[in-house]
Amino acid sequence: MEKIIVCIKGVPEPGSVKVDPETHALKRESMELILNPNDRPALEMAVRLKNDYNIELVAISMGPPNVIPLLKHAYALGVDQMILLSDRAFAGSDTLATSYVLAEAIKKLSPFSLVLMGLKSIDGETAQVPPETASLLDIPSLTNVKSLFMKDNKWIAIREIEYGEEEVEVEGPLVCSVSPTAFEYIRPPSLKRLLEVKNKEPIVWQAGDLNLDSQKLGLKGSPTQVVEVIEKKIETKGIILEGETEELVEKLIEVLKEKALIKN
Amino acid sequence: MFERINIENLPKGNILAFGEFYRNELNNSSLEILSPLKEVAQALNKKLILLFLIGSLEDIKNLEEIKKSLADEVWFVVNNELKDLKDDLYTEVLAQIVKSSQPYGLFFPATKIGMSLAPRVAGALKVGLCAHVNYLKVKDNQIIMSRPTYGENIIAKLVSKSSPVMATISLGAFNIKYGEREPLMKEIIFPENFSWSSKLKIRNFIPSKKKLTKLSTAKIVVSGGRGLKNKETFQKLFELAEILGAEVGATRPVCYEGWVEEERMIGVSGVTVKPKIYIGFGISGALQHTVGMENSEFIIAVNTDKDAPLVKMANLALIGDARKILELLLKKLKS
Repeated sequence: MEKIIVCIKGVPEPGSVKVDPETHALKRESMELILNPNDRPALEMAVRLKNDYNIELVAISMGPPNVIPLLKHAYALGVDQMILLSDRAFAGSDTLATSYVLAEAIKKLSPFSLVLMGLKSIDGETAQVPPETASLLDIPSLTNVKSLFMKDNKWIAIREIEYGEEEVEVEGPLVCSVSPTAFEYIRPPSLKRLLEVKNKEPIVWQAGDLNLDSQKLGLKGSPTQVVEVIEKKIETKGIILEGETEELVEKLIEVLKEKALIKN
Repeated sequence: MFERINIENLPKGNILAFGEFYRNELNNSSLEILSPLKEVAQALNKKLILLFLIGSLEDIKNLEEIKKSLADEVWFVVNNELKDLKDDLYTEVLAQIVKSSQPYGLFFPATKIGMSLAPRVAGALKVGLCAHVNYLKVKDNQIIMSRPTYGENIIAKLVSKSSPVMATISLGAFNIKYGEREPLMKEIIFPENFSWSSKLKIRNFIPSKKKLTKLSTAKIVVSGGRGLKNKETFQKLFELAEILGAEVGATRPVCYEGWVEEERMIGVSGVTVKPKIYIGFGISGALQHTVGMENSEFIIAVNTDKDAPLVKMANLALIGDARKILELLLKKLKS
């Protein structure tokens, strides 16, 4: 088996969101970034597989330099190598442009057996990047994967769909997005590795290091574009009642009766 | 049974909608997305085509539903290898159809399957893909799609500069409508040398024990947010739902907290509801949530904050502690 790659993303701490007033893209470089919560199960799965199969684990993050602490956190969990994909030219990338950068970085890390990502980020919430990256790499992808192991040199995955769970056998390499509920327990970082990583820095790859086509990067390389924004103005339209809990509940019951939801 | 048409002879420039078909069952979301797409197709003077990938024509249980749909044409790709959901093969088949029929647009319902396939197809075609669109309109011969943006109280209108225009459409955002005329049914014939191989093999399927939530079609919705303070209180909503004959909904933060499963999330990346009565307990009403319930007929908000957006939107707002109000309400209803 070859190395495992896990992709992680820095997302704004809720409440610290800053948005470019012109492009409406998030200004990640000037925000407090936290690890995308949905990436935690992806990291957990990656570390478990690394330990089970004794194999190199690489973490990649695309973003401004303020994602470095997140890569270091991944190191403390058990990642062997940290790679930061950072370039002004990447700013404002939509999912196609993002997947292009990730796919090229993953190619540079070849050979690999597996790429893991979180199901979706809590900011964009598109869930598109894992399958889109796999498509650009021309390898299979599975989404919402809750368990994964190797048997006879093939991956066996359990993926969740609306109707239930499928057990899928895949000839690798493979890209998986990991189900947010894949694990009951997620390990904390190791103290020893936290100390160790203090003196380590990620490798930084810019557009030039990956020989990227500048026409496919950032806002101008993104086919989906914001053309207009509309502020939602909300006007008070109904009755607002204040009072004791007892009174409010009486009123609520009265309305529920009026609407025939409960009998008199 | 159907007209057979070679892939290279497919009519060009139309609007394609992916029809989700899983284990012989049609997913209703595929019929929902036809409603906005029909208007788009008419505004652009194009045909609306519903496209199915299936294992065999005998498998279609819901043919009557399909015949009543808004589609002008229904295209089937039939091959035994399509019986199981194989993302890589499905992508290849869809990409071939796009290359041959050069559609103006290609749309998917935002189901788990739709959200697995659409990005793969967009990647294969190297085109843009909008996510969770809940509004589509044609302006100056262009499809405008919209969704709320993260962290702001604004709706962003998007276009795609690449062709075909692609998007996944929010679940429950549109009602199913029926057409006036039965669509033309066609079976697409692929070239002899097309490879139906896949790197995926489905070994087993374990059906979900949980019933699919009926949230998107519920007449009454009781929904909870962070104001309910903890999982235990949130769970009481199920008791209330039982009494009122309602479905339980939730905001994004409480789903992420694990108080309830994500299938119950109302909003941009979750379900859109349009009940006769919506009751929100401890929900302030972030745009992420309100776009998924703003078309409810009668909205009741229970919240401590008089200035919360949901309080303003509500037909009736009760200013108080949602937890206490819910608990007392249950006590009174049970006695």
